[in-house]
Amino acid sequence: MSEAAPNERELRIANAMAKFVDCEALGETTTIAAFCEVHQDLQPELGDQLNAMASITDEFFLDAPDRPESLSGHRILDEIGSGGMGRVFLAFDDRLGRRVAIKTLASKYLNNAQLRTRFMHEARSMARLNHSNIVRIYNLGQPGEMPHFVMEYIEGVPLTQASQALTLRQKIEMMHKVVTAVEFLHQHRVIHRDLKPANILVGHDLQPKLLDFGLALRADDRERMTQTGVFLGTPRYFSPEQVRTGSPLDARSDVFSLGTILYELLTGVLPFRGDSFDEEIRNLCERDPELPRRINASVPGELQNICLKAMEKNPADRYASAREMAEDLERYLAGEETLAAPTSYSRLMSGRIAQHLRELDRWKQDEIVSDAEYRALQKDYSRLAEREDAWILQVRRLTMTQVSLYLGAWISVLGVLLLVVFEYKSLAGTLKVAVAAGATIPMAYLGIRCWKQGLLRVGVAYLLAFCLLMPISLLVAMGEYRLFSVVAHTDWELFTGEPLGSFTFKTITNAQLWWALLLSLPAYLWLRRFTRSSVFSLVFAIAAGFLCLIQLLQMGLLTWEGGKIYSHLIPVAVLFFVLGMIIEKLRYPADSRYFYPIGTAFVWIALTGLASSNDYGIWNLQRIGRIASWDLRSQVAYLFLLNAGIYFVLQKICDRLPWDQLHSVARAFRFVIPSHVLIALFSLGTTAMDQWNKDTANLAFRFEARTFEVLLPCVACLFVYRSVPGQMKNYFVWGMVFLAIGIINLQQDIFKEGRAWLISLILGGLLVMLTATNYASLRMTASRWFRRER
Amino acid sequence: METPTTAFGLIERIRQGDRDAFTPLFEKYQRRLAVLVHYKLSAAKQRPEDIDEILQETFLAAFEDFGQFEYRSPGSFLNWLSRIADHVITDEARYENRQKRRGGEMTRFRSDSNPQGAEPADTQSPSRVMAQRLDVESLLEKLNVLPGQYREIILLAKIEGLSTQEMADRLGKSREAVALLLHRAVQSFRKIQKPNE
Repeated sequence: MSEAAPNERELRIANAMAKFVDCEALGETTTIAAFCEVHQDLQPELGDQLNAMASITDEFFLDAPDRPESLSGHRILDEIGSGGMGRVFLAFDDRLGRRVAIKTLASKYLNNAQLRTRFMHEARSMARLNHSNIVRIYNLGQPGEMPHFVMEYIEGVPLTQASQALTLRQKIEMMHKVVTAVEFLHQHRVIHRDLKPANILVGHDLQPKLLDFGLALRADDRERMTQTGVFLGTPRYFSPEQVRTGSPLDARSDVFSLGTILYELLTGVLPFRGDSFDEEIRNLCERDPELPRRINASVPGELQNICLKAMEKNPADRYASAREMAEDLERYLAGEETLAAPTSYSRLMSGRIAQHLRELDRWKQDEIVSDAEYRALQKDYSRLAEREDAWILQVRRLTMTQVSLYLGAWISVLGVLLLVVFEYKSLAGTLKVAVAAGATIPMAYLGIRCWKQGLLRVGVAYLLAFCLLMPISLLVAMGEYRLFSVVAHTDWELFTGEPLGSFTFKTITNAQLWWALLLSLPAYLWLRRFTRSSVFSLVFAIAAGFLCLIQLLQMGLLTWEGGKIYSHLIPVAVLFFVLGMIIEKLRYPADSRYFYPIGTAFVWIALTGLASSNDYGIWNLQRIGRIASWDLRSQVAYLFLLNAGIYFVLQKICDRLPWDQLHSVARAFRFVIPSHVLIALFSLGTTAMDQWNKDTANLAFRFEARTFEVLLPCVACLFVYRSVPGQMKNYFVWGMVFLAIGIINLQQDIFKEGRAWLISLILGGLLVMLTATNYASLRMTASRWFRRER
Repeated sequence: METPTTAFGLIERIRQGDRDAFTPLFEKYQRRLAVLVHYKLSAAKQRPEDIDEILQETFLAAFEDFGQFEYRSPGSFLNWLSRIADHVITDEARYENRQKRRGGEMTRFRSDSNPQGAEPADTQSPSRVMAQRLDVESLLEKLNVLPGQYREIILLAKIEGLSTQEMADRLGKSREAVALLLHRAVQSFRKIQKPNE
């Protein structure tokens, strides 16, 4: 509260107020008027201040405000309640013999023209409406009496109180009536603006009735549709736009309040709580409500969805009208599938995910899961929780419709693909292009429409089909109009139009393919932006991968000369890694994760290709071998070993970098290491053995053969143990397999018929088992022994 | 008036053994205490049912310990009730997990088996309670809009009814600072209310 220093007059007013408060505290009776008489010099501020101070509590302390005997000829029986603007009386209509409720405007507002207008406005709003779930207006007060209107008396309790004794179904039926009544209001262009349980009374017949239209607005009352910055009503059931100054209000604001009421009915608590008013408002505007199912596990998922959909922060994400919400409630009551899927469906999942993660933490503590598994699961969960992939949650299950969707899409795509590959003489020229476009454009249109309607999984199916169709139709068009049909490198053209058996293929040039893919990329990017679904990044990444390959083809770099083509793939792989890292750095981890595997795959293909085509020409291995006076007999095997080394280095680099997803790339590299190393060792061993068999006298060959023979099982054992830290099952499996091979090898060559060997194997195995069984106590003893030594 | 209905008068009647004076005395303070209790409770428990329960417990405890109350100023009875409410809230929190209520104490309201017990404070017709609750709610709505410090000073002045010296002692401020704070609180309240008037 940083305010200007008080001036002298302010201090005197403050002091006078303090005196007045002291008088009150000591029980001395004094009136504001009398007190101000004494302090004439501080008028009018002092009077205003004291009146304002009194007004904070005046309604509160009016113990028994005088009650009129009768209004509009109705005998006043009792006071039922008092709201912000006035009081509500129970009265009896002697002529018709029925009880009525009379709402009055508090006398202190009599001179407030704006409030009086609003009060009359409320009466008129209500009088226009005739609905069984909206309270009826009988009469408007005469000018001679205090402003009031006469309405139906409802003997009931507020909605939340009434619902306590009801079953879930009854609650939802009741809520459905309320929502329908609100829709009725909206149809009559009235926005209630103050929907809350206290304004919905439920009688013994379980008929809810809407009342208190104190804040209702005519929807066409444009200039008053925006807030003035004052909170009117109970903010707890307000929508975010209602508490934000100047935000336009419409029917969806009431939908939000209905969602809040439904939330309270389902859970018994308010969605946005806080220690202070300000915090409540902040929570309302910024935070997602706790999932109803986490408060009350018996809340059905559909209702949770309906509730959350109505309570979306952005009005555009909510039900567009109360009718839509009513329809979804109807669907729920009829046992049908509801349409509600909160746009951020994953938010809903994230609740469950958080719960799983907590359990996971406990499992980790209890050592049920290893650190690596823990991290992997955590990563999987975080993927699930990513908002962009909302549709994935809808396609998790393979259902009949789901499968049919993709089957249909695939058939259409294949149909159009045929147009590219084969000449259709009967469908020539523009006609062919029209057929392709006729398949492609509706796909895009339907996909976008379904997505907008919230049918995410259907939309994705159409859009994916569109993604495939787009470059294909471009190819068709380019083929027909003879664009880019000049062949650049005849060796590497994809389809050169030569007949194959009885088929005649069309000619497609690399340039056409290149342009088709390039032109499709912006479309994929746009789809990614539109749907916020990262699956289109996958499509983009794959298309970009092909584009790069075709680029290499175009440049004539992919030529079969001693396997050189493979080394040209490395820059592409690097490009993809860099792209992935940039995208991850831009905080789109869901998108970047599709670029890394493509980069990894390129590295694998390049290195494996280089090794198997025996060409590391750039490094001139043979020369190094000659210098070291090695006889590089089975070069392939050495090159595989070299590859394993490269993978190892790459893995280390990826692990060091601070990006999360590169760690999974590291895992991918690590995946291929054991097979490469062990196969290389094995083949080196067999070649060395062959060599030695040819020349048994050569001790050097003998040494080499023996070395590899012993090395293989040892390295295999090493890999078995290496599987522990990274939880790499492939290390374990490869290690086990090659250990067996190594042992059989040894048995064959060295220990033929050696009983001691057999027995030592059995005993050794037993010993290892026993050690493992008593590992903990052995370790204790050992460490104690070491400490004593020191 | 035959029987005094001021707080002091009621307290005197109780002192002289008129146990029936409890109900009107408590009724007199019920709503003020409800407001105070509302702000003592954590946000999660600020529900009318919870507040009602605290009020019942508080009045019950006050009925038990009435002998210890000493009248000093008009505000002292509410002050005393407020302190009892603090204890009740702490106890409540402590016993929260143990669903078991202190069974014996629940029967101490007046009943056939316990003619000496206090009359339950909540004897009004439901509609009456509703009306009062709306009063409380409308006051809370007004107070909630104020910043915490301003709200506190208004609670002390208007609900607890303390003198400025008592407020100064409570807040550890000078009397002048309290006066200025109150002045500004009312100004702030007016500023918020203004567009509405």
